[in-house]
Amino acid sequence: MATHHVNAVLPDEPEKATLEGKNKILGFWLFLGGETVLFGSLFATFIALRDQTNGGPTSQQLFDMPLVALATLLLLTSSLTSVFAVLALHKKDLKKMQAWMTVTVILGLGFLALEIYEFMHYVHMGHKMTSGAFGSAFYTLVGFHGAHVAFGILWILTVQLQTVKKGLTVVTAPKFYVASLYWHFIDVVWVFIFTVVYLMGMIGGKVG
Amino acid sequence: MGAHVHDEPRKPKVKHDGAKKHVIAFIASLVLTALAFAAVAFEAIPVGFTVPFIVGLAFVQALFQLFFWMHMDQKGHEFARISIFAGLTFILIAIIVFVFWVWW
Repeated sequence: MATHHVNAVLPDEPEKATLEGKNKILGFWLFLGGETVLFGSLFATFIALRDQTNGGPTSQQLFDMPLVALATLLLLTSSLTSVFAVLALHKKDLKKMQAWMTVTVILGLGFLALEIYEFMHYVHMGHKMTSGAFGSAFYTLVGFHGAHVAFGILWILTVQLQTVKKGLTVVTAPKFYVASLYWHFIDVVWVFIFTVVYLMGMIGGKVG
Repeated sequence: MGAHVHDEPRKPKVKHDGAKKHVIAFIASLVLTALAFAAVAFEAIPVGFTVPFIVGLAFVQALFQLFFWMHMDQKGHEFARISIFAGLTFILIAIIVFVFWVWW
């Protein structure tokens, strides 16, 4: 079988076997450094403006802990399944890798659905992009993260489709590896969002 | 061509760690997340200490994920470390500036 033959000659770390693959990963880390700065500036803006509600609902009135906990669990689990996909990649098990990537995408879609529901709920309560500095800073930071999740889902899906056609090669392997790095990074950013935006937003009310 | 007739499976040159390490990172992340949520939900620790506590937990969890899940613990990731920590240093300065100077 042709595919069997391809797998037999695939090098041990197919994502780093070619110079192009290596450069892709290196360049991607540079991109992630830039993303850190980008999200960091949005965090700084949010922290500075989070109490300026302009008469609208405060974070203590808005945020609901079970919803945030569920979203966190979904994204954290999806990060683990994308690790499993990379482990399958290193074992050159294409089927398993595709399966774990599919689970990752489904969990990502669940997270996105929760976030859309959450935003609609907030707008209904009078918390909008235009309702005050808190609204603008909140939707810019959390919405930007949500857009990253949406982009990540589309990215993984397209790489998956391409691999159905081309199989696991030194060309397709780096794409999966980099997409998985991106997905982990989204989860790392979410760790700070649930801490700084949601949990810190819920404490304020109790302090006074 | 004689050297290539053996079609036995090649032994991997690079030894990869199994799923164990990643599952440990997952459980650690779950525990750290649960601790942060519990600290806020039940006010288990002094209120003034809650913010530094949960932010500290977030940093620990982020490092777990960066080093285990994103393989920053492996060889050849010097550039990755420089990239992420340079970005982190830069934004920490920005955050401190925003927090302490904007409303003073």
